[in-house]
Amino acid sequence: MSEAVAALETVGLGKRYGRRWGLRDCSVRLPAGRIAALVGPNGAGKSTLLRMAAGIARPSAGEVRVFGHSPQRQTVDVLRKLGYLDQERPLYRAFRVGQMLRFGERLNPNWDAVAAHGYLSELGIPGDARVGKLSIGQQAQVAMAMCLAKQPALLLLDEPLAALDPVAREGLMHLLLGSVADGQTTVLLSSHAIADLATVCDYIIILSASRVLIADDLDYVLASHRLLVGSSEGASHTPAGVVVVARTSSERQIELLVRVEQPVTDPTWRVVEPTLEEIVLAYLREQSAAVTDARVGECVEGQQR
Amino acid sequence: MIEPAWRLQRLVFLVAIVVVVAFAIWLAVTGSLQAAAWTTYNVTHHCVDVVATRNNCFALGQTYSTLNNFALVNLGLAVAMPALLGLVLGAPLVAREIEQWTNRLAWTQSITRTRWLLVKLGVGALACCAIVGAMAPLLEWWTGVIHRGARILPSLFDISGFVDVAYVLFAFMLGAALGALIRRTGWAFAVGIPLYALARFVVRDFARPSLVSHSIAVSPAVSPAAGGISSPIPANAWILHSGDVPLGRFSPAPGQTWQSGFQTVENCQVAAVSQVHANRCIAENKLHYVVQYQPTSHFWALQGIESAIFIGAALVLLGITVLAVRRWRT
Repeated sequence: MSEAVAALETVGLGKRYGRRWGLRDCSVRLPAGRIAALVGPNGAGKSTLLRMAAGIARPSAGEVRVFGHSPQRQTVDVLRKLGYLDQERPLYRAFRVGQMLRFGERLNPNWDAVAAHGYLSELGIPGDARVGKLSIGQQAQVAMAMCLAKQPALLLLDEPLAALDPVAREGLMHLLLGSVADGQTTVLLSSHAIADLATVCDYIIILSASRVLIADDLDYVLASHRLLVGSSEGASHTPAGVVVVARTSSERQIELLVRVEQPVTDPTWRVVEPTLEEIVLAYLREQSAAVTDARVGECVEGQQR
Repeated sequence: MIEPAWRLQRLVFLVAIVVVVAFAIWLAVTGSLQAAAWTTYNVTHHCVDVVATRNNCFALGQTYSTLNNFALVNLGLAVAMPALLGLVLGAPLVAREIEQWTNRLAWTQSITRTRWLLVKLGVGALACCAIVGAMAPLLEWWTGVIHRGARILPSLFDISGFVDVAYVLFAFMLGAALGALIRRTGWAFAVGIPLYALARFVVRDFARPSLVSHSIAVSPAVSPAAGGISSPIPANAWILHSGDVPLGRFSPAPGQTWQSGFQTVENCQVAAVSQVHANRCIAENKLHYVVQYQPTSHFWALQGIESAIFIGAALVLLGITVLAVRRWRT
């Protein structure tokens, strides 16, 4: 697996906004064919990472490669492989939906016009409607349809589910999954809706305070974490061979989220399989506590334009 | 790419065309009225030749001069047209996309930014040239109405021939380059106007007189009071300098200006008791009267060279725009 060219690879990637780092020392490797979730709190650097991968933000440090090539060079070769959904969902508001799709068709050799029209009729968006007159949710869907119809090898989606109602979310995820079902497309999508992601993704990257905490297969992440519950008196020591990620204690019991290599057999602890949401939250909570302790300045959401 | 590029700019162009057509109609109407008034005043009633011998000459003169005031306004509009058209169309070309984030969409499709930019600029530049080019014959006719045959004079030169097309290309590229650098349509336009005016002013007042080597006409230095000088220069020429300079020279001696010789002649005139004395005094100062001018025959050469200057500047701005767009990041 490691021999194949990664869909996305970053080495020591960093982005500085003035004196603050929007993303720092980020090294991740996303193998081709995965559907990866990029999670983290606001300001963790998710958008910054996606923008640098799409070639519309310039790294301050390190490098980013898409199928082995730098997106910063803006070559047609890399541009054709990339599908990018910006946080702002930019579209030409004066265009009609059909004209917007024709724009995509003229600019992309791999454009799947049949699929593009199919997506929109599935979503119930008329082709002769003005883009600017559509609702925010419908605009997001048109932008998403344009990304998919381009048939890129790597889809970079910045908060594709934001501003969508639950029904539209499901519709959009359905669209995405149907479109990438052939396994030829790698997807990296950032989101806050962790519960939604667990059913869709098979890879997870957790960013916090501009650093990478985890970047791994979802199955492995789920298998290698356990929730240990013990009573306050009995559980004075942690079991051997585990790394404590987060600790929450109340008067009567202690809960540990730990990373394990082997099954925990210590009888003083009750072992529970955590959900993805619990794992992510545990990492983010600990990280934010550590950040506060270290008095590191808070990071701004990468909103610089 | 050409069709979407046109679609993106279409609305601005349609508005520009409506405004330009309205101006063209206005120019045609006032121009016709003025031509008619001139014919009545001069040809029919001979008001110019025989000074105020007819009762209605005064009234006709009033009408003509009212129309002439309109003509001054029209001249200003005609000179401003390429600047406004080019900047209005050029400034939003890149800047509007950045303002509305649509560049993030356009620049992540499967064509390079350079190609995207060149197509958009090509479509815009072509449309600009078409509009101004269509106005050129009308303006040519109109300059004939307000000043027959004198189109080499600076203010008429600017709206005659084909130099207008070079101006509009320059203004368009200036707007596009500033938009790409400043990333704000409004500011690009606001900065573009004084820069355009400055460039035009510098070329017109400092470069144009010497773009083609000027002609020289020489006549004896005589006092203006001696009954006037019979003009040694052909009609409708653009006079650059004139004055009394030392014999053997065609420009003032070092350290002197065109005014210096004139002053000497004036002094002779004031000091002399008679015209004969005055003429002798002038002759003793060894002066002759020199006129430096651009004859009408230089019109097309001047048009060609000045157009080349502005098209060259537009190409430099094109390079700057391409670089700015390629370098753009969030």
